Amino acid sequence: MNNVTKMLVVLLVIGVVSGGLLAYISDWATPIIKENARLETERAVLEVHPGSTKQIKIDNAGFELYQVMNEKGDITGYAMPNEGTGFQGKVKIMMGMTPNLDEITGLKVLDQVETPGLGAEIVKDYFTGRFKAISTQPEIKSVKGKKPENPNEIEAITGATISSVAVVKIMNDGIKKVKDYLSTQEKKEGAK
Amino acid sequence: MMSKQVSYWTEFYKGLYDQNPIFRQVLGMCPTLAVTVSGPNGLAMGLATSFVLLFSGIVISSLKNLIPKQVRIAAYIVVIATFVTIVDIVMKAKFPEMSKDLGPFIPLIVVNCLILGRAEGFSSKNNITRSVLDGLGMGVGFTIGLTILGGIREILGSRTIFGLQVLPDAFEPWVIMILPAGAFLTLGLLFGLLNFVELKKKTKKIKEDQQRALAEIKKLTESSEEDLAVKEG
Amino acid sequence: MELVLVFLSAAIVNNFVLAYFLGICPFIGVSGKLSSAFSMGLASTFVMVIAATVTWLIYHMILVPFNLEFLQYVSFILVIASLVQFVEMFIKKVSQPLYRALGIFLPLITTNCAILGLALFSVLREYGFLESIFFGLGAGAGFILALVLIAGIREELDLAEVPAQFKGVPITLIAAGILAMAFMGFSGLISN
Repeated sequence: MNNVTKMLVVLLVIGVVSGGLLAYISDWATPIIKENARLETERAVLEVHPGSTKQIKIDNAGFELYQVMNEKGDITGYAMPNEGTGFQGKVKIMMGMTPNLDEITGLKVLDQVETPGLGAEIVKDYFTGRFKAISTQPEIKSVKGKKPENPNEIEAITGATISSVAVVKIMNDGIKKVKDYLSTQEKKEGAK
Repeated sequence: MMSKQVSYWTEFYKGLYDQNPIFRQVLGMCPTLAVTVSGPNGLAMGLATSFVLLFSGIVISSLKNLIPKQVRIAAYIVVIATFVTIVDIVMKAKFPEMSKDLGPFIPLIVVNCLILGRAEGFSSKNNITRSVLDGLGMGVGFTIGLTILGGIREILGSRTIFGLQVLPDAFEPWVIMILPAGAFLTLGLLFGLLNFVELKKKTKKIKEDQQRALAEIKKLTESSEEDLAVKEG
Repeated sequence: MELVLVFLSAAIVNNFVLAYFLGICPFIGVSGKLSSAFSMGLASTFVMVIAATVTWLIYHMILVPFNLEFLQYVSFILVIASLVQFVEMFIKKVSQPLYRALGIFLPLITTNCAILGLALFSVLREYGFLESIFFGLGAGAGFILALVLIAGIREELDLAEVPAQFKGVPITLIAAGILAMAFMGFSGLISN
């Protein structure tokens, strides 16, 4: 019986010490981790909008949306993070659009778990660079094995078509969301 | 206490080669294979594991007389998991990029057989100094193994070492090296290579021993012949 | 349909052993004989499914509501360790033959990365309750599959002429590498 009590006490003490220690460390780290994530998003927003310096988070959109401005305060466009399913799992991107949403200003892949060397190439600059100044009218399209002919076409990565197509789809979905939001905003403005 | 005390140096040194966790004991295979797509990843994983190894070793060896035998595994696991959580949180806060790369393999250090193995097999039977040395040795051995494996896969799979390009563009990267299959193949071949070296060493030693023995016999026979000659003379 | 996909993905496309390297220790340790490999796989699957269920409940019912996420690893591993103990006692009571068949493997399961990995992945991928269970089933099936395949290969290898330096672990790893390559053929099976 004595032994059982000892067992319980020892385990309890170890558990309490461990829990307390972790609570303390987690308290210290949580704000830093949050700040890291915020900074990363902020950096990504400006990265997909070369030349812009300021950003405002739009709060009432129902999803994450940023309005981006240049030095002088002129609106240079929007940026939004969006995610969807790639070849092996979730792909998260940040994309920048011009104010009228007609063109893509830049793309950055934030998170992905695609196959290294193949699908994971979507994070590389040579691929994301292809999206620069691509037209979103009527929507972005990926082509395979040939040079893009129309302003809304980009070339998929050889050997990683599915991942490339996934990125394009995530972008189109995102653009649609922003479009819907902006048009409802306009209607509201008009009603006033 | 161990019946035979070895020197402190040996306590540390054994983890580097003679009892290398990866190549000799075949422990901790999950991270070994999973995160070694590049040198830096291997190094970071090795360091994280070493940290847990070292500190759980210290705690467990200082608590060894307090923990009842029946619940020792549970107690060890809690200690180990606590240190792993600390590593995970600190990495997330201070090295977010690396933490993203290693992802769920940091928490999986909890079930790295190497750590529980050392806790149960070594720290629970030895004093703190020896546990520290053992933990350091095993940790360094593990880290070296991971870095080598990661380095090889990085060179062949991405043409770089620690992010610096070393192979010319003309070299088509072997994508297979950074895929799961490449991990198995590289480790398998490395193991084979090591065995090859060991086998050679052994045969060399045996040959040397043989020669020494032969020389000894020769000497003995010569001396006995001399003795005989003296006697006959 | 979703559930079937989760199952197939864990079992075949992203096989736990061959793509995520989870459960390598028993994979190399006990895969020498076909019969013991199957028993080990079965015992692990059993624990996996229960662990998936219990850890999901703990994470979503206790840790998240009380903001105790930092206790995730400690609580998960404790749950798994006690589950294994529990299963061992249960099997011992219920079926002696089964206990004799699985008994020696059960303690090994605690340090099987596949179990903790399963619980962690299921949190990371934000699986729902049912999805988690199917994920556990799939991972278990994949584990059995990989274990049995490699055990079969090793039994054949015993009869083959393997260079002395490569006997044992090295050749097993190389065989696993080739098996992993074969499994890559399944990738893309489920992606849309």
